[in-house]
Amino acid sequence: MIPENLKYTQSHEWAAADSDGKIVTIGISDFAIEHLGDIVYLELPEVGEKVSKGSSFGIVESVKAASDLNSPVSGEVVEVNTALPDDLETLKSDAYKQGWMIKVATNDTDDYQALMDSSAYNEYLKTQED
Amino acid sequence: MSTLKKTIFYDQHVAGGAKIVDFAGWQMPIQYASGIVAEHLTTRKQAGLFDVSHMGRFSINGPGALAFLQYALTNDASKLTPGMSQYTILANTTGGAIDDAYLYMTGKGEFILVVNAANKEKDWEHLQNVLQNFSDVKMADISNLMAMVSLQGPKSTEILRNIVQSGCLPHAGRNALSHVTVENTQIMVSQTGYTGEPVCYELFIPIEIAPKTWDLLCANGATPIGLGARDTLRLEAALPLYGHEYGCDTTGKEIPIFTCLLAQFGVKFTEQKGDFIGREPLWAQHNAAEAFKQKDYSSIDILPQQIRPFALLGKGIARDGCTVYNNDSPAGTVTSGTMAPYWVPFEQDGQARLSDETGKRAIGLAMIDSRLTSGDSIGIDIRGKKIDAIIVPSHLERNTEPFAIPRLTPSP
Repeated sequence: MIPENLKYTQSHEWAAADSDGKIVTIGISDFAIEHLGDIVYLELPEVGEKVSKGSSFGIVESVKAASDLNSPVSGEVVEVNTALPDDLETLKSDAYKQGWMIKVATNDTDDYQALMDSSAYNEYLKTQED
Repeated sequence: MSTLKKTIFYDQHVAGGAKIVDFAGWQMPIQYASGIVAEHLTTRKQAGLFDVSHMGRFSINGPGALAFLQYALTNDASKLTPGMSQYTILANTTGGAIDDAYLYMTGKGEFILVVNAANKEKDWEHLQNVLQNFSDVKMADISNLMAMVSLQGPKSTEILRNIVQSGCLPHAGRNALSHVTVENTQIMVSQTGYTGEPVCYELFIPIEIAPKTWDLLCANGATPIGLGARDTLRLEAALPLYGHEYGCDTTGKEIPIFTCLLAQFGVKFTEQKGDFIGREPLWAQHNAAEAFKQKDYSSIDILPQQIRPFALLGKGIARDGCTVYNNDSPAGTVTSGTMAPYWVPFEQDGQARLSDETGKRAIGLAMIDSRLTSGDSIGIDIRGKKIDAIIVPSHLERNTEPFAIPRLTPSP
């Protein structure tokens, strides 16, 4: 269910670093998507914008409410999945691959290493059931 | 220990895959497995079944009932005949709303008042206080004696006909009542509606046959709909909700009743009506609202803002609390807002129909400067960005039975 090769935040974003750890791809987990209900709007940043760990890089909205998307790492947005806001079905069907949101260039690999791995996230999810 | 109340349909909601939330002290379905968007669309094209048993229902009976209701409520209850209903409001002495409600006349000197779940205790206390000055009238809380469901959408009549053993459905036209037999038991049927659907029914069902009736309705094609879609449907129909468009605004200030355009149908100043709670301030509000129609804004201080439907033209979703701008000046606040789905309409043989294609639109209601009207451009502050929007007369064509046809606002 939860990809083992990714890292996770408590606010249900996932992150995947490339081999040298300098580019981190970011999305949201199936749990987040399930929990939000029908997602009807997604707002992503532009290439070149700065993001910082724990701060909002975008907004995802269901019919009922808006939620911040929090960046797992600090750095600069180098690529944005610009097709995603117009194809929210993809987010639902393939959250961990086609449903990626942004790629961030980062110098601080410690931020990434400090994130939860899949087994820690799995344990964390058990505390999140409502 | 949960002290939350459950309606008679609770087990059926859970079995149907409902996500349950706390709503006004009740454990209610916010949505079922298919989700709010699918439920909204199903109601518009098929038929949606809503559990509204959490709403408060008071019986008001006796030779003195009419005099009491005329004083306690804003509409003219003398206009009712047995088998009719009307939209009405519980006003306070300053012209604000304690609640909005529906009054049903079930027989001579017999009435049922249906009030919002969240306001039930407050309404009961208020009405009991007023009642002390009246005689020959008895008021009782009958909420637990019967279940109440709402069946809305183009297939509703067909579904209902399939389960009715005898009796006629209410004649066409809103506000009519009838009694029919289901499961060898009499149930009362009204057609008031809260979704904007031209075909709509509410069923007042004796508690004993309520679960069976729910199953029968579902087996005949009705789809259970949660509170989430109930809200997007009422917003698409631009209908007010107490706590958003009635009551107090986001700053805690009382909203004058005539701020809601719908109020003109629920407040009457006829001779038969006589005096009632809030009459004086409401008369001033009424006169101000009437003058606005002639572009006379001399009494704008009495009614500075009115609630109007808007459509967002730019990206995003306007939520309640967002500031509305007229050019660069603040001109009001969003009271309700969402992204609602719709079936793309098309025309065939001169008739509006719904295609199988869907879209979505960011819409809402905003309490804005009374001088602004349909067609005027506004800006709405969404997270610090001013997004273009337009005031519209409505989002739905409702005289296109059996369908409510979306009235789309083209992008600029």
